[in-house]
Amino acid sequence: MTDTLAAPTANTGGARFVGQRVQRREDLRLVTGHGRYTDDVVVPGMLHAAFLRSDIARGVINSIDVSAARQLDGVVAVFTGADFNAEIREHWVDFEGPGGDASPFRVLADTDVRFAGDPIAVVIATSRYIAEDACELIEVDIEPSTPVIGADAALAADAPVVHAGRADNIAGAIPAAADPVLDEIFANAAHVITETIDQNRYLCVPMETRGIVSQWDPFNQELTVHISTQGPHGVRAYIGRALGIPENRIRVIMKDVGGGFGQKMFMIPDEVAVVLAGKRLGRPVKWIEDRRENLMSGLHARDDRMTVSFAVDDTFHILGVKCDLIEDVGSFNAAGSSSIGFVGLLFPGPYKIPRVGFSAKAVFTNTCGRCSYRGPWMMETAAREQMMDIAARRLGIDPLEFRRINVITSAELPYTTAAGLVYDAVSIDGSLEQAVSMVGYEAFRAEQAAARAQGRFIGLGLGLYVEPSGIAMGNMSSEAAIVSISVNGDVTAVMSSGSHGQSLETTVAQVVADRLGVDFERVTVVQGDTAATPFGPGTGGSRSAVILNGAASQASGDVRTKMLEIAAHVLEAATDDLELEAGNISVRGTPSKGISVTEVARIAYLRPQELPPGMSLGLESHARYTPNAPFTFSNSCHACVVEVDAVTGGVKVLRFIVSEDCGVMINPDVVEGQIAGGVVQGIGGVLYEEMAYDMSGNPMNTTFVDYLLPTATEVPIIEYGHIETRSSTNPGGFKGMGEGGAIGSPPAVINAVADASPTSSTGRSSSRCRRRTSAPPSTLLADPAE
Amino acid sequence: MKPAPFQYHAANSAADAAQLLGDLGDDAKLISGGQSLAPMLAMRLVRFDHLVDISRVADLRGIDRNNGTLIVQAATPDVLVERSDVVVASVPLLTKVTPLIGHFQIRNRGTIGGSIAHADPAAEYPAVAVALGAQMECLSVRGTRMIDAADYFVGIWSTSMESDELLKAIHFPVWSGRVGFGVAEFARRHGDFAIAGAVAAVELDSGNVISRCSIAMFGVSGQPERALSAESHLLGSSVGEISPEEVGRLAIADVESPSDDANMPATYRMSVAASTVATAWTNALTEAHHG
Ligand SMILES: Cc1cc2nc3c(=O)[nH]c(=O)nc-3n(C[C@H](O)[C@H](O)[C@H](O)COP(=O)(O)OP(=O)(O)OC[C@H]3O[C@@H](n4cnc5c(N)ncnc54)[C@H](O)[C@@H]3O)c2cc1C
Repeated sequence: MTDTLAAPTANTGGARFVGQRVQRREDLRLVTGHGRYTDDVVVPGMLHAAFLRSDIARGVINSIDVSAARQLDGVVAVFTGADFNAEIREHWVDFEGPGGDASPFRVLADTDVRFAGDPIAVVIATSRYIAEDACELIEVDIEPSTPVIGADAALAADAPVVHAGRADNIAGAIPAAADPVLDEIFANAAHVITETIDQNRYLCVPMETRGIVSQWDPFNQELTVHISTQGPHGVRAYIGRALGIPENRIRVIMKDVGGGFGQKMFMIPDEVAVVLAGKRLGRPVKWIEDRRENLMSGLHARDDRMTVSFAVDDTFHILGVKCDLIEDVGSFNAAGSSSIGFVGLLFPGPYKIPRVGFSAKAVFTNTCGRCSYRGPWMMETAAREQMMDIAARRLGIDPLEFRRINVITSAELPYTTAAGLVYDAVSIDGSLEQAVSMVGYEAFRAEQAAARAQGRFIGLGLGLYVEPSGIAMGNMSSEAAIVSISVNGDVTAVMSSGSHGQSLETTVAQVVADRLGVDFERVTVVQGDTAATPFGPGTGGSRSAVILNGAASQASGDVRTKMLEIAAHVLEAATDDLELEAGNISVRGTPSKGISVTEVARIAYLRPQELPPGMSLGLESHARYTPNAPFTFSNSCHACVVEVDAVTGGVKVLRFIVSEDCGVMINPDVVEGQIAGGVVQGIGGVLYEEMAYDMSGNPMNTTFVDYLLPTATEVPIIEYGHIETRSSTNPGGFKGMGEGGAIGSPPAVINAVADASPTSSTGRSSSRCRRRTSAPPSTLLADPAE
Repeated sequence: MKPAPFQYHAANSAADAAQLLGDLGDDAKLISGGQSLAPMLAMRLVRFDHLVDISRVADLRGIDRNNGTLIVQAATPDVLVERSDVVVASVPLLTKVTPLIGHFQIRNRGTIGGSIAHADPAAEYPAVAVALGAQMECLSVRGTRMIDAADYFVGIWSTSMESDELLKAIHFPVWSGRVGFGVAEFARRHGDFAIAGAVAAVELDSGNVISRCSIAMFGVSGQPERALSAESHLLGSSVGEISPEEVGRLAIADVESPSDDANMPATYRMSVAASTVATAWTNALTEAHHG
C-alpha cells in the first residue's frame, strides 16, 4: 500500500532504479551460503585464541597461575592482564573523542572481576580445541563478594562500587530540574496518571558472532585486521591510538558481516587482546566468539525502568509529562551506549506534549556492559506508547481515540517539540490512520467482543513513533564517496561506510546509476576496507540512506556534470540541451545526435585533445557529504494483533502491520526487510528473549536453550504500508528507518497482550505491563499471582 | 564451545558396542544421533575419554512388525519412524508424536533410542513407551534383558539401565480393534521441549464402552507420568460419561512431585498438563470413533 508517490526531480537524474524493487546484489552469495565472514578468513600459520572468563560476578583476584596451561602441547602463549593492560596508550573511540567520560576499561581483568564473563586470560594455541583445553588448566583464585545486581542494588545507600575508585555507581545522570510551570500543570490537571514501566534486558544476537583475525607483519611493521564490525575506520583509528601504531600502517578489512545491530559498533577488550597477542608473537591470531560468549559477554542492551506521569485535561489532551528513567549499563558499557539524553530529548515523539520534565540515572552493575542496540533510546517509545494505552484505559477512552486527540497532524507542520526538535516533513497522523485502516480497527473491536463471548481473547496494540534517522553529529556528521567511471565506462563507487546486512551494495548502486544515467549493472560498490575507502564512522543511527547516499549522490553529480560538459563539447551543443539516459548522452529532440558514456570515458582518459580546452583528465570525484540537519525524521505506526490462550498464557501474534514514512524509498524490498528484521527483534524482546541474572550475578540465558529467539513459526507475515513524504535534509528526499522496526514493535506487542485481557476496560490489566517479559505464565489472563 | 579430547570408536555391531562399553567402563559413553550429547560435550558440561558411535551400526537400525509387537531398533533416526508405513499401521501414536520433536534437522540425526535412553522428562517418546507399556531390550556383555517402561525411567535423565548396557531396541505392543490415539502439548516455540504434554490411547468395544485406555504425561515431573487413577475411572465407562476436563483433573492428581520453579510454578504447569490431557484424550476418542 503506497499513499503518496514522490515525483522524481531534475537534480537527482532520472529515477529509473530508485524506487524499484531491485533484486539485492548480495543475495546470490549470501543466500547460497557463499558469503565471506570473518571465520572464513584462513591465513597460513594462523593461531587460535580462547579466553578464560570469570564465572564469578564480583571478587578480588588473589592469584592467577598459568604455568600448567603454558605447558600443554600446542599452546604457544598465555597472556593475562599483567601482560597487556599497561600497553594501552590511549583508550577512546572517535565517537566520544579524547577526554570524553569514557567508561572504565582494561584489556583483561587484573585486580578484580566485575561480571560473570569478564575475560581473565587469553590462551593462544595451534587450535581452538587446545586453547580451550588450556583454559581449564589455568588456576585462578578469586575471593568473591556480593555483586551489585539490578539498579536498586546499585543505588542503595550502602552499595559497594562496581568500579573501584569511583565514588558511587552512577555512570551518568540528568538531575530533575525545578519546573514550577510543570508543577502547576500537574497540580491543576483534571487527571494525573502515573505508572512504572520495566524493560527487560535483551540482546542484539547477530547471526555471526564477533570475530577477528589479526596479522602483525614485523618486517613491514604493518598490521592487517579482518574483523566483524560496523565500522572498519573506527577500528583502525582506535587500534592506532591504543597501540601507538600509525594509522597508515594499519589495514582493517570488513567482509560480509552477519549482523551487528549496535553490538559491533566498537571493539571490545577481547578483540584488543587478540591484536596485542598477535603483535607480541608476530603471528596471525584468530578469535571467533562462540555463542555462549556472545550471549554472556558480547555486550547487552535494554535494561531500563521508567516512571512516567501524564497530566491530562478533561478533554483528554496531554498537558505535560514527568519522566524518571533508570538505565542499567552493566559494568564495561560501550561508548555512547547510555541513552538517557536521547530518551529525554525524544520522549514527546509523535504527540503534542507542551511540557516535559525529565530526569535520569545510568548505573553500573556487576553484569555485562550495555551497547547501543538498534534504537538504543527505544525506552522513550516503549514507555510512552504503553503509557498511552494505560492512560486511555484509566480515562475510560479507547487508546486510538486518545492518540488521535494528541497526535501531531500534518496541518500543524512545521512543529517544534517541547525539547525543541523541529518536524517539517513527517506524516505522523497519516501513518496512524494508515495502520488503523489496514488493521481494520473498528471491525477488530467487534470481532474482539464476539471472541470474548466465546472465551477467546484477542487484543490489538499500537506503537506510534518518530524516528531520528540520519544522525549527523560529531564523528557521525559526514560520509564520503569516490565515484569514478573507468576507461571502459564502468562505474565504481568507493564508500566510506559499509554494510553489515543493510543491502548498501544494492541501494548505493541504484542511486549512483540514476545519477549517472547508466544501467544498475554497470555500478559496483566497494566498501569495508580502510586501504581503499575514505574515512567513515560506520553504520549506526540509521544513517546510510541519508548520509552515505548523500555522498554517493554528490560525487556522482560531479562526474555527471563533467560528462555532460565533455559531451556538449563533442556534440557542439549546450549542456542544458543534453539528455543522459541508459548510458547515452544525446541532444534533446535529436536522438541521432549522441555519444555513449563509454565514449565519453575514453575521451576523458585516452584522448585529451578532444576534451574542452583547459579541462582536467579523468572522470572521478571524491565528495564528503553532510546533511543539512542533525536529524532526518521518519515516522511510523505499528499495529499488532495477538491471541492469548486462556489456559497456557501462550501468545500468538496473528497480524503485524507497519505503516512507514521514510521519504523517498530507494528500494521498497530493502525498506521492508529492514522493518521486518526490527519487528522480529521487538516481538522476540517482548515474548521470548530475556537475559536474566540471579542474585549471585550468574547469567541465566547463555545458550539458545534458555535464550529464546522467535523463529519463522512464531512470526506472522508482516504487512507494510508506505507513505512517501520527501525529506528536506538531503537532495534525494530520503529518510532512514533502520532502527524503527525495533523501536515501535515492543510496545505494540505489549499493548496487544494487555488489550486481550478481559479486564482491560477497567484499566486493571495495566499492571501487567510492568512485568519484565510477556512470557507465559505471566501472560495468563487470570493470573493467580495477582 | 569445543569438547575436551576423547577417543572415538565406531562400533561395528550391537555386540561390538556392548563389548566396548564393557571394556572401557565408566570412561566411555555411547553417542547415537548426538543431538543431546554433542552440545553437552561442546559446552564441557560432560566429558568422556571414549565415545562409542552407534549411529552407523546396521543391526541397531530398522523397524519390524512381529505379530502383536513393533520392534524399533534403538539407533533408528526419528525421521524414519515418522515416515514409516509399518509404524503408522502398528503404533500410530509414534507417528503422531514424532513431528513434535525438535525440528526436522534434529529428527534427521536424533534417534528413538537416544531419546529414550537420554530420558528427558519432557521428551515425547518416553511418554509413548510408558503409555503403551513398551519393553526395553537392553544389551551388555552379560547378555540381554527386558525392562518394562514403567520401571525404566527413574528420574531426570536417568534410567534403570547399568552404565555398561546399551538400549538395543524398543518393543511396542500393537493395539488393535476400535482404537484411537492422541497427543497434545504446549511449548514456548515450535520445536521446543514441551512445558507439559500428554499422550492418550483408547480402545472401545462395540457398545462404545472404554475397554482399554492409557494416558501418560510428560514435562510435568522428573519422568513420564502414567495417569493410573484417571485410567481406572475411565475403564468400563461409556464414552462421554467422564468429561475430558475431568480426565485432565484426575490425571494431574496422580502426579506426586510436580516440577516447580520460579519461572514455571507447579500450579501453572499442572493446569497446562490437565488441558493437554483433555485434548489428547478427546483426540484419541474421536479417532476411535471414526478410525
Ligand atoms: C533444538 C532441539 C530441540 C529438541 N526438541 C526435542 C523435543 O521437543 N522433544 C524431544 O523428545 N527431544 C527433543 N530434542 C532432543 C532430541 O530428540 C535428541 O536427539 C534425543 O533426545 C537424543 O537422541 P540422540 O540420538 O541424538 O542421542 P545422543 O545425543 O547421541 O545421546 C543422548 C544420550 O543417550 C545415550 N544413548 C544414546 N543412544 C543410546 C542407546 N542406544 N543405549 C543407551 N544409551 C544411549 C547417550 O550415551 C547420551 O547419554 C531436541 C534437541 C534439540 C537439539
